[in-house]
Amino acid sequence: MSARVVITGLGVVSPIGIGVPQFWKAALEGRSGISAISAFDPFPLEGYRSRVAGRILEFSPEQHLPAGQGDRVDRYAQFALVAAKEALADADFRIEREEPHRVGVIVGAGMGGMVMGEREITQLYEQKRPHRVHPNFIPVITLNSASGIVAMAYGAKGPNLTISTACSSSAHALGQAMHAIRAGTADAVIVVGADASITPLVFAGFCSLRALSTKYNDAPERASRPFDRGRDGFVMGEGAGALILESLSHAKKRNARMYAEVAGYAATSEAYHMVIPREDGEEVATTMRLALKDAGVTPAQVDYINAHATSTTVGDAVEVKAIRLLFKSRADKLAVSATKSLVGHTLGAAGSLAGIVSALTLTSGQIHPTLNLDDPDPACALAGLSAQPQARKTKVALINAFGFGSNNAAVVLKTISA
Amino acid sequence: MAKTTEVSDKIIQALADYLKRDVASIQPTHHLRDDLGLDSMAVIEMLYRIEEVFNLQIPDQDLVGLTTVGQVIAYVQDRVAPAPALAKKPAAKRSTKTKKA
Repeated sequence: MSARVVITGLGVVSPIGIGVPQFWKAALEGRSGISAISAFDPFPLEGYRSRVAGRILEFSPEQHLPAGQGDRVDRYAQFALVAAKEALADADFRIEREEPHRVGVIVGAGMGGMVMGEREITQLYEQKRPHRVHPNFIPVITLNSASGIVAMAYGAKGPNLTISTACSSSAHALGQAMHAIRAGTADAVIVVGADASITPLVFAGFCSLRALSTKYNDAPERASRPFDRGRDGFVMGEGAGALILESLSHAKKRNARMYAEVAGYAATSEAYHMVIPREDGEEVATTMRLALKDAGVTPAQVDYINAHATSTTVGDAVEVKAIRLLFKSRADKLAVSATKSLVGHTLGAAGSLAGIVSALTLTSGQIHPTLNLDDPDPACALAGLSAQPQARKTKVALINAFGFGSNNAAVVLKTISA
Repeated sequence: MAKTTEVSDKIIQALADYLKRDVASIQPTHHLRDDLGLDSMAVIEMLYRIEEVFNLQIPDQDLVGLTTVGQVIAYVQDRVAPAPALAKKPAAKRSTKTKKA
């Protein structure tokens, strides 16, 4: 029988707090991390249709990391380092007590090192001085720079992988880490999701795609409003989440505290459209169904869904349609929350933050509010959605994550005893 | 010669900035790797800064001779203000001359 997999440590860098205690407190209080973008110097702000984002306004790597550790990597990888450091400490996971080749790192990242990427590309094209491209440009923009630096910082010599499936990246990172531990190729995996690409070019790209909210530029905290009738696109966020996954036997052997079991995972492709989900919800329903089957639980046993819920008109409605398809009458008995209402859409970090929220929900029985649910859209109404925090005993949580490229993921967490 | 001092000061300042250490702690005799702890990537980054400061392009084949602070200073000094005897062929062995940057 394959190994059971548990979560033993958590770490967060988010627009509503750096550190799990700060993040979770703010989440339960329903604090918004969305603010106005004041400047993208030297670009005129009026050129951006959307001017709100979930940015981390006060982040200095020196405050969290040993001197020099974050110097050669981009902002998203600095976030990854900080989140992983917290998760390792939270798990009391010490590499010197481990066989390092049995400890892996799997990072989910959608955009990667775009801060330096944009700067260098701009300079090259403006100045036409190829010899002035920074020597670190390639190592920084290579999409596995975060998984590389995390391994170097913390001595993990096992499988070192990066998964890039846009907005579902770190949900897949969780799932693939579960697979690696189940298969016996690692005792533990440091799972990280990270992105920091609220940069002039990427942000403009999402604006041009007409994917972002534009109606709430003067009321940033109201812009991310999944499932609400007034939603008009997602709000870009940035951040990182880290989770320490290990086999149950390994965790027990070192007497680790366990948040939850990672019990099931499914990965599918809709094979349909680069950015539009299939509107009948069939593929999303199938993804959830497969993940539950993998976890050995029935839809009737699910208590909580951390919805993908980006606050786009089509996406939210499709997700609810899929939930109704699969869960039928149970759909209105489920507790549901949309973490992106708090922090925006953190792209590659989103799945990991959903994993952290779900683990904390299972251990605490607290469900964070879904902000701005002022006028629930009948097209995506679920009785278990609430603008208020809820206290509910939960044993099985389902995480949804969908990415550009017709990509779907679902992950199932259970309480250890469930 | 004032020019030499100026080059030397700029290079040591660039090194101090890069290494985040005191200017006074960096000596021309220091070996970039053994004394200052620069790995090969760090040497490339440091030279990238020096290229900017002096508006130079340092060709790959010249890197092998640049292992101490003093060698870097002498090299840059030669490139920015060649000694009179060498003035006619300062870059004879170099395929890539500094042009309008």
